[in-house]
Amino acid sequence: MPEMIKESKSKKILSIIGKAAVYLIMGIFAFMTLYPIFWLIMNSFKTTREFQVSQLALPKSPTLQNYVGAWQIGDFSLLFPNSILYTLGATVGIIFLSLLAGFAFAKLKSKATKPIYNSFIMGILLTTQTLMIPLFLEVNLLGIYNTRFAVLLVYIGAGLPIGIYLSTEYIRAIPSAVVESARIDGAGFFRIFLSIIVPMSVPVATTLAILNITNTWNEFALINILVSKTELKSLPLGIYKFSGSLSSDYGKQFAALTIGMVPMLAFYIIFRKQITKGVAAGAIKG
Amino acid sequence: MSSTLSAPFWGVFMTYSSKSYIEEKRAYWAMILPAFTIYLLVMAFPIVLSIVLSVSNYSGGKMFGGEKWGFAGFDAYLRVFRDPWFWNALKNNIYIVLVSVFGQLPLGFIFAYFIYAKIVKAPEFWQGVLYVPNIISVIVVGLLWQTIFSPHGPIAEVINSIRVREFQNQLRGIFNAAGGFSLSDDVIQKILDLVGPSGQAIFSDPLIDLRDLLSSFHGEPIEEVYNALGNLFVQKWSPTFLTKSNIAMLPILFVILWMYTGMYLILFLANMQKIDVQIVESARIDGANEGQVMRYIILPALSGTIVNAAILAISGSLSSFALVFAMTGGGPSRVTEILSIYMYNNAFLGRPNFPLANAISLIMVLISFGLILLTKAVEKRYGGKEE
Repeated sequence: MPEMIKESKSKKILSIIGKAAVYLIMGIFAFMTLYPIFWLIMNSFKTTREFQVSQLALPKSPTLQNYVGAWQIGDFSLLFPNSILYTLGATVGIIFLSLLAGFAFAKLKSKATKPIYNSFIMGILLTTQTLMIPLFLEVNLLGIYNTRFAVLLVYIGAGLPIGIYLSTEYIRAIPSAVVESARIDGAGFFRIFLSIIVPMSVPVATTLAILNITNTWNEFALINILVSKTELKSLPLGIYKFSGSLSSDYGKQFAALTIGMVPMLAFYIIFRKQITKGVAAGAIKG
Repeated sequence: MSSTLSAPFWGVFMTYSSKSYIEEKRAYWAMILPAFTIYLLVMAFPIVLSIVLSVSNYSGGKMFGGEKWGFAGFDAYLRVFRDPWFWNALKNNIYIVLVSVFGQLPLGFIFAYFIYAKIVKAPEFWQGVLYVPNIISVIVVGLLWQTIFSPHGPIAEVINSIRVREFQNQLRGIFNAAGGFSLSDDVIQKILDLVGPSGQAIFSDPLIDLRDLLSSFHGEPIEEVYNALGNLFVQKWSPTFLTKSNIAMLPILFVILWMYTGMYLILFLANMQKIDVQIVESARIDGANEGQVMRYIILPALSGTIVNAAILAISGSLSSFALVFAMTGGGPSRVTEILSIYMYNNAFLGRPNFPLANAISLIMVLISFGLILLTKAVEKRYGGKEE
């Protein structure tokens, strides 16, 4: 008997040590995640001179001057509305076109479904960034370099494969009887789409919105080759400006990085549950 | 919309079923074509274009009606394969793939398991925090870590403040041994020994100059002496993480691990939570330990997810661009170039070489598909066995 108690006691100690180790490892990871972000935001309120003297202490007299300067240098009053336009435009476009095609793939009969649907699936694995040089040449060939249209076109095209995959799978799970009975009642396919399929597809549309809003807002590689005019640029391009000759002006650089980071942080804090679900469902990498 | 409008017109000539058939066909194409056209423009056409241009001598400018260009053979491919910088970039991409598949995935899996098995409390907190890097723009992440690894970053400050403190502690020891602030020969000599030859080099006559310097502090708190000597003698350490060519890839790989591990955590955790709780519980009742539950229930149930995650990691790694672009831009002297940056520089830096850049683009597409096929084959061979 005493031996058994002893054994269970040593087991308990072992499991406590194990638990502590797990907490320690995950704690280090969590610290490495949160501290750089905190450090960045905190230092954005210091003057560059104060930053050069002390990088770890809290700002002595917090200043907003960096934000004023960064906002002007980065032309953020132009870029912010652009980012919103690109993000909303691409997201709405992807959702609408994906649901539309998804409905056709899932509920309308055609021999074309298999090859076309499979070509979209292949596109999930083929990332658009790989194609940025031919894309750049293509938009020049079509005469749409430096247009918002080209940016939206490319963003929508890049988001369609995963969008169509998720919508088709989702709409397939809707009973066909729903569509058939509406057909018997004399409804056209577009009526059925708008009044039955779209309302029933809100969950998958939410997932797509979550995935595309973060991806599009943060996208850099493609828009970098699609536009060169400041009035067409998005936030990541403006932030990149602070990497070259401006990078020694740490105060402004940190303010610019914070401006770029905060909208998505806020979005994440508000929609964390949906984002987590969307990632698990979509599992795409930007 | 046109199909619904014209349906009555067709109805005059057709029976109900064939009218309905035509309506369905028209609706089908009206629904597919907008998406498919955009998809062809953004994905298929660029691939065709890159095939054509990679075997051409196109050198920029108007594609039609400009300077004449035509077939030039497979010269561009040969040049890519002969270019040592291509192999350097490919090597760096392989490092990224390795860190993704053997770093992010296992770490994400282990963290997910810690949360799933309730080894740690507050599941929402860990998930929520570890995913944060994913939602920040890669450009922000790249510039942020560039600063952190730079001589002006917190790493340098922590290391330097430790060095200063150590030095000051030794100074304190010297003065304490002498019974407080003192200008005796013994104390001066000990300080000079402490700072070493490189510290002494700032004086023309170390013994006299140091005594002069110290005597100027007479009457002031001794902490002032420590601070002044600390600033004067402790050499600042300047980190070279991103400027030394043999280690510059390491910070990039670290940031990639830092950034995406949380995504795999969420992916794996969501799929672990789909496993029927009763299966796990009854296995435990039958005496299965943690390792056996992992081996015979969790791993088989997640094998599909793991393969999927590996495919995503591979295709994502091959296309990554912005992080390296922001963090090092491929430098110092090109050692951290990855394929996408190697391609970008060939097209946009200096004299554009479009055939070469397009050849690289196609090579990347092919590598991507090759690796994906390989993963699928591995899955067919070894996965699913357990089910």
